[in-house]
Amino acid sequence: MMNQKMKTRGGKDLRGLLWILPSFLGVSVLYLLPYLDVFRRSFTGAVDEQFAGLNNYRNVLGNTAFLLALKNTLRFTLVCIPILILASLLCAVLLSGSKYGGMIKSAFLMPMALPAVSVALLWRLLFHSQGLANQWMGRFGMEGSDWMDTGKAFWILVASYIWRNLGYDIILWMAGLSGISESIYEAARVDGAGEWQCFLRITLPNLKSSLYTITVLSFLNSFKVFREAYLVAGNYPHESIYMMQHLFNNWFQSFSFDKLSAAAVMEGGVLLFAILLLQKVWRMD
Amino acid sequence: MKYKGFHRMICILLSAALVFTSLAGCEKKGTSGSSGGAGGDDSGGRAMGRYMEEELSLPAEFSSIYDMKKLEDGSIRIAGCSEDRESVWETKDLGISWEKVYDFPEELQDDVRDTAVSSGGRVACVYDEGSDADMKEIFYLMEPDGSFGRIPFELPQAEELYVNLVRQILFVGNDRLLICDDQGIFYLVNAADGSVVRTFEFGNSENMYAAFAMGKMLLFQSISEVLLYDSETGEQQSPGEAMQNGLAESGMIRAADTLDAGESIYYVTEQGMYHYRFGGSVVEQLIDGELNSLGSFSVDVGSLLMLDERNLLAAKRDGNEEAGARAGILKFAYSEDTPAKPDKELKVYSLYEDNSIRQAVGGFQKEHADVYVHYEAALSGEDGMTVSDALKTLTTEIMAGKGPDVLVLDGMPVETYAEKGILRDLSSVIEENKEEYFEDVRNAYRNKEELCAVPTRFLIPMVQAGSAYYVPGEDFDTFTKRVGALENMEPEEVISRFWYSSSAAWKKEDKTLDESRVQEFFEGLKRAYGDPPEGAEKKEDSALPGTDIMQGDFRLLAGTWNISAGLFGSNPDYKFLLAVTEHLDGGDFGCMPGQAEHVFVPSVTVGISSKGSQPEAAEQFVRYLFSGEMQKISQGSGLPVQKEAFRSVIDGHQYEGNTSWVDLEEGIRFELAPRTEEEIQKLMGLAESLKTPALQDEVIKEAVLEQGEKVLRGETEPEEVAAAVAQKMNLYLAE
Repeated sequence: MMNQKMKTRGGKDLRGLLWILPSFLGVSVLYLLPYLDVFRRSFTGAVDEQFAGLNNYRNVLGNTAFLLALKNTLRFTLVCIPILILASLLCAVLLSGSKYGGMIKSAFLMPMALPAVSVALLWRLLFHSQGLANQWMGRFGMEGSDWMDTGKAFWILVASYIWRNLGYDIILWMAGLSGISESIYEAARVDGAGEWQCFLRITLPNLKSSLYTITVLSFLNSFKVFREAYLVAGNYPHESIYMMQHLFNNWFQSFSFDKLSAAAVMEGGVLLFAILLLQKVWRMD
Repeated sequence: MKYKGFHRMICILLSAALVFTSLAGCEKKGTSGSSGGAGGDDSGGRAMGRYMEEELSLPAEFSSIYDMKKLEDGSIRIAGCSEDRESVWETKDLGISWEKVYDFPEELQDDVRDTAVSSGGRVACVYDEGSDADMKEIFYLMEPDGSFGRIPFELPQAEELYVNLVRQILFVGNDRLLICDDQGIFYLVNAADGSVVRTFEFGNSENMYAAFAMGKMLLFQSISEVLLYDSETGEQQSPGEAMQNGLAESGMIRAADTLDAGESIYYVTEQGMYHYRFGGSVVEQLIDGELNSLGSFSVDVGSLLMLDERNLLAAKRDGNEEAGARAGILKFAYSEDTPAKPDKELKVYSLYEDNSIRQAVGGFQKEHADVYVHYEAALSGEDGMTVSDALKTLTTEIMAGKGPDVLVLDGMPVETYAEKGILRDLSSVIEENKEEYFEDVRNAYRNKEELCAVPTRFLIPMVQAGSAYYVPGEDFDTFTKRVGALENMEPEEVISRFWYSSSAAWKKEDKTLDESRVQEFFEGLKRAYGDPPEGAEKKEDSALPGTDIMQGDFRLLAGTWNISAGLFGSNPDYKFLLAVTEHLDGGDFGCMPGQAEHVFVPSVTVGISSKGSQPEAAEQFVRYLFSGEMQKISQGSGLPVQKEAFRSVIDGHQYEGNTSWVDLEEGIRFELAPRTEEEIQKLMGLAESLKTPALQDEVIKEAVLEQGEKVLRGETEPEEVAAAVAQKMNLYLAE
């Protein structure tokens, strides 16, 4: 009887809801409710919780540290994600045609398995003003640099992010590639298509659904680069790698929950909008 | 299909089990165990019964109490030193009245090394005869009536030692003495004829053992083990694993006693008093040191006397000589009607362990039996926690309503906390008796009408040098025009010491950093530092350099440095400062020249959390920190803000009638004696003139130190470094 009721309400099968209910409850308790509290706090004072209207939002938007962190975060995302997606796609295509692809694929995953602390230690060892990188450069007669205290710190962070996430994206691309039927390629070749045309006309269109997943995951993974940046350069790194997470971390420490909440609400809103937009674009296609 | 119901049932049962075990894991921790040991519960379920502390009045001011025993007739006999004279005293009414039994013989009045009292009223003492390599230990036995004679026992010469001296003596019963020498060998000696009954040796002399006698049993403790011996047979017995483990947690035994023939032991450690039956499985804590003087940082218990299971005496020595603290006897009596743990819990929090706060906790606890003070120093140095980690944890606790009531704000962003409303206004708490305090120091953090944080102590940035390098009152430009004045100092030492007198002038009204002032600071120091020595490399040691002026004084005397600069107050031996000054050619000391004038460094700054749960107790605690008793304590945290206490800390009154000379390797000699009025007034005047609090921002300081040393090493120019510091710090200040 119950099954029947659930099947017939609104003409839709509601049994599926039961399966996602535990997960939904978990997400609600651990994410949605806290987020609602953050939303509430974004309109109140930091500690006294007096209603402050839109003051917190005004303060955040006029805060030079916030604007710098926002600029850096956007710059980092816009530089890293296209490079990562293209590089991993290239590697995946090359590896999928190689008989050693499986073995090499595992090697690409190694950076992901390294703890952030080890990576940070390595980073320090290499890029300290008296580190290995400068020593090596000195041997070749080149002048060293204070890597972490100049604009070069940004490019080190970019390289670190790509090195760490390349393997993961390759796996995702290869999973997408394996889903394309070989018969489509055979039929195209029979019709006289070359490799490049096969790639453009068959491979890329069939990887669109993977691209969406990979873009979103790469985007979310880009936030994790803060761990390395924080472990190497602390709360106040060179201004080129001062990210939103640095600011949030410092605001938390100094009880600036008013600004922290307002900025978190804005950032959450922007992220949600970007993801929904991506989804919409994909569905339209 | 027929198993479908069964599968469902299994699934439901497993799910229920999973939920149940998860919830069980979240169960609140039990509050079992009472510090009162045999205490019961009141009707509300509270554990009842606690040992309450009081201090016995003594007939004289004792500088030390060597030993204390209860005699067979119930009287208590002590041997101690009062008014520079060793004597034996007795009380028959538990300290209400005391009677001097006798003074030590004249020939024993000097150089008494150790003394022990027996349960029969005998006193044994050892004193040093001769000097240097000819020094010998002489043992005397004094009978209950005061008649005395020499014990014919001599310590053997030790080949590896320059001279073999006594580490410890104690009575075992009434007739035998246990004597420990510098080799770590214990001799059980007949007091009457000096014959050795047996010896106890435990490997090398470096692993120090202390001995305690309980009836016929002897307990030896080192850092790593506890050994139990029968003194009559010499047979070793096992004290029990529980005691070994218990001591690993509670620390070394300071004093011990028993109420039987040696089947059990009562002992005191820095964490309180414990009872253990040898071979048993449990060590019982009878007194929690955190609730009384036993846990106080400055109190050392030298002798324990169990009167019965519910009453005991502890002879203590207080290390706070500047505050007039002396030896005394604490009485602990078990009160059944007092809760085992006070109902109110006052939480005191600091980033760094502070001895003056630790001591205040003990003193406050003693005066407020209804309040349990829990003091937490976040950075123990053992767990790798950083300041940033600690502050984040603190933020979480405060916002969750579980934070501390009193914050010791050293190393914390005081202004930010005040701005955010974390700290309560203290104006009403400490406004009384303004004229008694250095008001400019106390008002270091006053913002308009609010006073959210108050330094209980302060340090003075000073410079000391001959007239060729420093003239008191000169400004930063004049001082730094002397090229090479700061030579031979490590760059990070220069920056970290001169930071205090200049950084207060760097913040502009719009809360940004004044880049030009930072640049001037680096330029001045670079000029005074001169050219960096060739081949000088950065020290690998990452620890922050010391800033105490005393450290610099030694290098000034040795001629390594031209000037000594640093903070005065953490080790306020004013006589030393004066002695060094006299040794210099036209020497003098005064405020450190800097871009800001009349600078002081607030220390042990306290605030009350607006989110704390015990506001009244927190106010009482803060008031207690400003009391004369607490202000006079000198534990290395700085000079008192109360004028009378300030004078007491620097005037050297503790040396009155007890002067001595100190010889330094550098050939300088100074007398430890009370200071002259002129000397006292000079420092008082200097303290009165202080107006400007130094910038206490660890983030800015770290950036300046990191960048500044590059300038002094000649790696970069002041202009570039000032720009780098300003860029980084303006970001920080903009947050």
